[in-house]
Amino acid sequence: MKIWVIAEKKDGELRRVSRELAAKAATLGDLEILEVTGERVSGAAAASALAERAKVGAPDLILAGATPSGRDVAARLAAKLKRAYLSECTDVAIEGGNIAATRAMYAGKVRARVRAALPAVASVRPNAFPLADGAAEPQITALPAAQTPGLTFVRFEPTASGGGRVPLSEARVIVSGGRGLKGPEAWTAVEALADVLGAALGASRAVTDAGWRPNEEQVGQTGKTVTPDLYIALGISGAIQHLAGMTSSKVIVAVNKDPDADIFKVADYGVVGDVFEFLPAFTEAVKQMKAGA
Amino acid sequence: MKVAPDGTSVVTEGITWSISPYDEYAIELALEHKDTAADTVVSVISVGGPRTKDALRQALAMGCDDATLVTGDGADALGPLGIANALKSAVDDLKPDLVLCGKQASDDDQGFVGPALAEALGWPHVAVVTKFAPSASGTEIWKEVEGGHEVWKASGPAVLTVQKSAKDPRYPSLPGIMKAKKKEIPERPVAGVDDPVRIEIVKLEPPPGRGGGKIFKDGDTKAHAAELAKLLRDEAKVL
Repeated sequence: MKIWVIAEKKDGELRRVSRELAAKAATLGDLEILEVTGERVSGAAAASALAERAKVGAPDLILAGATPSGRDVAARLAAKLKRAYLSECTDVAIEGGNIAATRAMYAGKVRARVRAALPAVASVRPNAFPLADGAAEPQITALPAAQTPGLTFVRFEPTASGGGRVPLSEARVIVSGGRGLKGPEAWTAVEALADVLGAALGASRAVTDAGWRPNEEQVGQTGKTVTPDLYIALGISGAIQHLAGMTSSKVIVAVNKDPDADIFKVADYGVVGDVFEFLPAFTEAVKQMKAGA
Repeated sequence: MKVAPDGTSVVTEGITWSISPYDEYAIELALEHKDTAADTVVSVISVGGPRTKDALRQALAMGCDDATLVTGDGADALGPLGIANALKSAVDDLKPDLVLCGKQASDDDQGFVGPALAEALGWPHVAVVTKFAPSASGTEIWKEVEGGHEVWKASGPAVLTVQKSAKDPRYPSLPGIMKAKKKEIPERPVAGVDDPVRIEIVKLEPPPGRGGGKIFKDGDTKAHAAELAKLLRDEAKVL
């Protein structure tokens, strides 16, 4: 069984999701890790480079991280190779000549077990597989990409806020704010907590629609699906569309002044109270704990 | 959303069928372009059974100029590559400058058809798009990435899979609805479309249940905050 992992790097380092996939793939068969190299490679160009290589290498299963770029490449690659593609899997196994995977459907409201004949392509969500501490840095084959005919990169426009933080899709801790925070100025305190925790920032749709925070921070249906170890929901009521994007988090903390808020139904820990009283006190408590540890 | 007793489908009784949210954003982006460039023709295409016509009529009522339905026996059962190939046959005839589609459906959430359509057409694609604008030498396309947007330029036709438009999708106007009712929706046969890939649903189930958490209801919020930090470290072991 030949398994490929499409590697992604960030700031020169192999991304955690790529390492998680490599660790898992090594248990499924013979692993090869490939990284498509080049400046601003489009999904189509990366898929072309990988498809060329696949004609020779004939992998049975190709895995990519379910990051925005991983999904982009994996879908185009599967189409190029005319293979089944399973996106955003949370578990992957090989059963006979098939890939058997678990994935969310209906915006996270249903969990599906699906099967497709090998060879196949799948993208897998970050945090789906454990990563042993101190795992060896895996060997990576570089695959230079050509330009895509008809498509050129023009420029990058950074979002005004949120720079320098962990990407939301593979963050281990997320601090997320909702309408209960009353306005964009509250994020000074939210960011202070995120800094102490090394967390990414998330938001409910009400917040991004109101323009308090950039759209890319939206968690939920029509936003991002996240799977952190810890999700802290501040002043978020818990609309079903929001829950769809974050109920796969390992531990959920909710703070809301409304004891009947739906967010408490999925929370492992909750505080019914004023989020503006909670935030500085909690930030201070975590800070002292980290200093003492 | 309820799983049907057979365990491999969902209960569709009492469900209102609608255009998937991302497809609505794609329609909105196209119509916004038409608002500023009146000679734009926005055609809407879908693949599916007779019910799909309602969705196309909704798109016409929003302001799309014409609609095409690729249909026939088996249209509802096509796999993702089959759908892409069925769409390709319609795109070949309509010869648009750009094809916009939602970045993923709201049922299977796969995100496969857009890039697969681009592949079938031999066109480039840009995924997770929030905006596009024509320029002198092609179309500038904003792709949402971590930390901001990449701006790409397509010199010719391209497929864009749409993340979200800046504005909410518009509601159909009353005159729009009246006009849409009268429009003919031409049909194309789905028969003979190449559909090489199958994904089998073995079992559907509700997501694992949650709840029964430790909720601090009364008392001093500040004290609860400190207590919670300890619990997250010592009990949940996530700090």
